[in-house]
Amino acid sequence: MIVLKNISKVYPPDVHGLRDVSLHIKPGEFVSIVGTSGAGKTTLAKLLIAEERPTKGTIVIGGWDITKIKRREIPYLRRQIGVIFQDFKLLQKKTVWENIAFALEVAGEPRRRIREVVPHVLKIVGLDQKAHRFPRQLSGGEQQRVVIARALVHRPKVLLADEPTGNLDTMNTNEIIDVLKKINAFGSTIVLVTHNREVVNGLKQRVITLSDGRVISDQAQGKYILP
Amino acid sequence: MFAITTTGRIISFAWKNFTRNAWIGLATLLVLILSILSVNILLGVNAVSDAAMKALEDKIDISVYFKPETPVLVLDTARSYMASLPQSQEVDMRLPEAVLEDFKTRHKDDEKVLAALAELDQNPFGATMTVKAHNTGDYPFLVEALQNPQFAFAIETKTYDDNSVAISRVQHIAESVRLFGIILIAIFALFSILIVYNSIRIAVYTQREELGIMRLVGASNLFVKAPLVLSGAVQALLAMFLSAGAVVLMVAFLDPKLKIFFDGSDPGLQSYFMDNFVLLAGVQAGAILCLVIFSSWAATGRYLKK
Repeated sequence: MIVLKNISKVYPPDVHGLRDVSLHIKPGEFVSIVGTSGAGKTTLAKLLIAEERPTKGTIVIGGWDITKIKRREIPYLRRQIGVIFQDFKLLQKKTVWENIAFALEVAGEPRRRIREVVPHVLKIVGLDQKAHRFPRQLSGGEQQRVVIARALVHRPKVLLADEPTGNLDTMNTNEIIDVLKKINAFGSTIVLVTHNREVVNGLKQRVITLSDGRVISDQAQGKYILP
Repeated sequence: MFAITTTGRIISFAWKNFTRNAWIGLATLLVLILSILSVNILLGVNAVSDAAMKALEDKIDISVYFKPETPVLVLDTARSYMASLPQSQEVDMRLPEAVLEDFKTRHKDDEKVLAALAELDQNPFGATMTVKAHNTGDYPFLVEALQNPQFAFAIETKTYDDNSVAISRVQHIAESVRLFGIILIAIFALFSILIVYNSIRIAVYTQREELGIMRLVGASNLFVKAPLVLSGAVQALLAMFLSAGAVVLMVAFLDPKLKIFFDGSDPGLQSYFMDNFVLLAGVQAGAILCLVIFSSWAATGRYLKK
């Protein structure tokens, strides 16, 4: 599903984001990528959605080598990978419904399908009653659930969550993790980038630990090993 | 079908963008209106000063006074020759009898002058020829043409020599006013372009996060840019209509008032805008549309590189 071969990322003049990282993530896995600040977690996430390009190595997602992806192809990649951000990245001037529908509209989906899909994903994340509110009228946890709903509309094979609980309290964190588990149970691969010890230990899934841009640990049913 | 759906969505997003960013839209609209108005005000000022200069230039002519005994044949030769020159706009010959009648009419209340005139056996006046040039710059040439030996010997005096300094000064002022007007319009147009470009950039800058998010959820560049460009184009057209309305009102208000300063003749303001309406509206609408579209496209591009 996701293959990283000898990936290195150097920011000028000589700051190493990642150093010779190789990974293989199988379809349907729930993988946590952990590390302290500056370990390279966010760099890895950005490379997976082609927000940045590696300095060296190749990244293949679902058989598609995205290392040399053209700019005009990036939107197509992003429609295949659902992305969840710590700072939500919702369009503040659009309602919950419009935020979710937008991801389908830009892909040219017909109105009838949008009317089917949006209520469905809103139900999955439990926000069907708040479809016409604006993001500022929602709590942090609710906003993050909107982001998850938006990420689900294209039925992505991979869901990349970059610190999705970073701005949330324990209760909202648990809710978000439960939603991610539910989505994983439907068959989607989940890549969770986090430094939340409790979340990682509670999942009892594969844990890849990064430090100083390198993979220092990759355990099938791992734990948060950093101090 | 896909193209229709996409176009429909772009229009819908443009409308939502316009209404939900009302304050930014209003500020941009005001900047556009002020820019268009400032250029038009200068065009109007230039038109009025041009009309004033033309009125002043119209008062300039050469008056040629012939000796009283000059034969009619010589006078005809002088009139025909001067009228045949392309630099001449109008040549008017007043024969001695007509000059005498004019003089009597002018002094009809002055008995002493009329009595003195009656003492004379013959008409003391010679013919008078008035020559008007197309351009003030042509007068020196016309004065030179009066040296023609076929009639130069019959000329007693001519007024241009006395007025030549004043005429050349008027000519110089007129040229300077026109040049200054063109330079001022060009500078204002340049300022307006910079102001409009920067206000569009600011409007786009305030939405930079949204633009990035749209890209992150899979929107193509066209899908992000087109609604912004479209709403910018609508703003530009709206600004054109509102500015045109303001210009019409200002011209209707000022033209009759300016007429007083022009002794009842046309101050050139209304006629300038009426005669050049299609050209002015076309050029300004085209320029402002191109400018807004280019500015929106370029400013949006900055935030879509990732």
